[in-house]
Amino acid sequence: MIGAGGTLGLMATELQVTAPGIIEDYRHGFHDPEDKYVFKSDKGLTREIVERISSMKNEPAWMREFRLKALELFLSKPMPTWGDTAALSEIDFDDIHYFVKATGEQGRTWDEVPEDIKRTFDRLGIPEAERKFLAGVSAQYESEVVYHSVREDLEKLGVLFCDMDTGLREYPEIVKKYFATVIPPGDNKFAALNSAVWSGGSFVYVPPGVEVKTPLQAYFRINSENMGQFERTLIIADKGSKVHYIEGCTAPQFSTSSLHSAVVELIALEGASIRYTTIQNWYRNIFNLVTKRAVAHKDATVEWVDGNIGSRLTMKYPAIYLVGEGARGEILSAAFAGEGQHQDAGAKVIHAAPNTTSVVTNKSVSAHGGKTTYRGLVEVLPGAVGAKTRVKCDALIMDERSSSDTKPTMKIQEQRSTVEHEASVSKIGEEQLFYAMSRGLSEADATAMIVNGFFDFFVKELPMEYAVELNRLIKLEMEGAVG
Amino acid sequence: MADGRPVARRSDVAPGTTRRVLVNGVEVLLCNVDGTIYAVEDVCTHDGAPLDQGELEGSCIVCPRHGARFDVTSGAALTLPAVLPLPTYPVRIEGDAVYVDV
Repeated sequence: MIGAGGTLGLMATELQVTAPGIIEDYRHGFHDPEDKYVFKSDKGLTREIVERISSMKNEPAWMREFRLKALELFLSKPMPTWGDTAALSEIDFDDIHYFVKATGEQGRTWDEVPEDIKRTFDRLGIPEAERKFLAGVSAQYESEVVYHSVREDLEKLGVLFCDMDTGLREYPEIVKKYFATVIPPGDNKFAALNSAVWSGGSFVYVPPGVEVKTPLQAYFRINSENMGQFERTLIIADKGSKVHYIEGCTAPQFSTSSLHSAVVELIALEGASIRYTTIQNWYRNIFNLVTKRAVAHKDATVEWVDGNIGSRLTMKYPAIYLVGEGARGEILSAAFAGEGQHQDAGAKVIHAAPNTTSVVTNKSVSAHGGKTTYRGLVEVLPGAVGAKTRVKCDALIMDERSSSDTKPTMKIQEQRSTVEHEASVSKIGEEQLFYAMSRGLSEADATAMIVNGFFDFFVKELPMEYAVELNRLIKLEMEGAVG
Repeated sequence: MADGRPVARRSDVAPGTTRRVLVNGVEVLLCNVDGTIYAVEDVCTHDGAPLDQGELEGSCIVCPRHGARFDVTSGAALTLPAVLPLPTYPVRIEGDAVYVDV
């Protein structure tokens, strides 16, 4: 047993590949009976549902008003007119449950968690992960966090790590001060939707000078068919502190589309450091439309490590605003698009202060007719003297049916800055394959090895068990890829 | 500098509302915050488009496109995606006449 990240290997033998690239039995495709739900809202979104969510959570008046205003913004904003508009038009907002509450009480210890929910998490390896090395586990099941624990030494350091609902209830001053200051509800249609119906997600506050040595982890999972999942995460690293947060996502098999639209806000105050690692493995019917943005103050560092596998359509562009002198940002992302999938991912960096530096590295693979898009923005604002940025994006196309687009945007308004951009698109080499196969590897193994090598820069940034999961996942995705 | 002509009547800008005026070729947004009128440039520093369709909440103007908030009394950008402040201009009131120095 390898923990949360290693469950893939355990279940891999259950897969049946019936045709090249078509995975018949998705490994996380199990459902739990849904008759245990405490509350499940009607499909569609109305003012009443938003009010109901807020009142069920006993929220303060300002949050209720915030939600209702966000609902108006969501309804008034048009769908994006850029990106994969054809796929976006498949989303039926009236066919989604916006709130499902799986259990009445939040479990503090594993024993208190209801049996059927526990079974699900057992299969995902959560307790193992906690036992082995994690600082805290916060597992999101449906819209509410049902299980949550923080190791005692973290509490002693004054680190706050809980679900967002608890954060709002117990630390209202901190939440009110920072909530939606990085991503206001009006930012885009899906941020407005999240702001109206958000539920769950993580709240992290690290006090000044505190270094959290082991990663904090959250594990998300969608279980109910047609249920949107709208978690909201807010991480504040106070002056000179340091934290690494990891989220991993899986979803069971569905027959109709499901929507995941999260908002993640990171705030790195002076001299602080935040690393946020995501591995997403959504099933291929999920729309994953996420707004992630960080602000880095003076001499602060923010790193996004973002791996996207699966989903019907992912639109995700982790952003870093470097607003203080000497701030540093790094975005590492990897995307894999298989049959019927479009990974529209990228990165945004805004240099708004002198001597800020950033590095963006993106690698994408498209196979079995999948499509990848790199969509990026680098902006250097007037006065950001001495800003340095380097963008590198590479795409690997596995077959004739697959495709890739690169759409980088650069807005440089400060002459005294250094901007580098490098991009490549390549097709898997027949000679490479032939060589590897002549050494005794099967075609699938050879292909997986080449793709793993292509993603190596990314994988080596991951904790070991995630690296193992990703390598195995890529191998599975590549089964029968060429031929 | 103002050319000596009023740019609006004070009564045209009720408390909690805004009014867009052109002063010496500059688009200026007059904002009435609890009876005091402030003047800022009517251009969101995030995307360069006007703010006048946005809502005035207390002393904050909210950009109608991406939700950036600015404090109109100081011009400061309070939320992303805006980072740079709004230019502000001195306001002079004489009777019902509003003068703005641009």
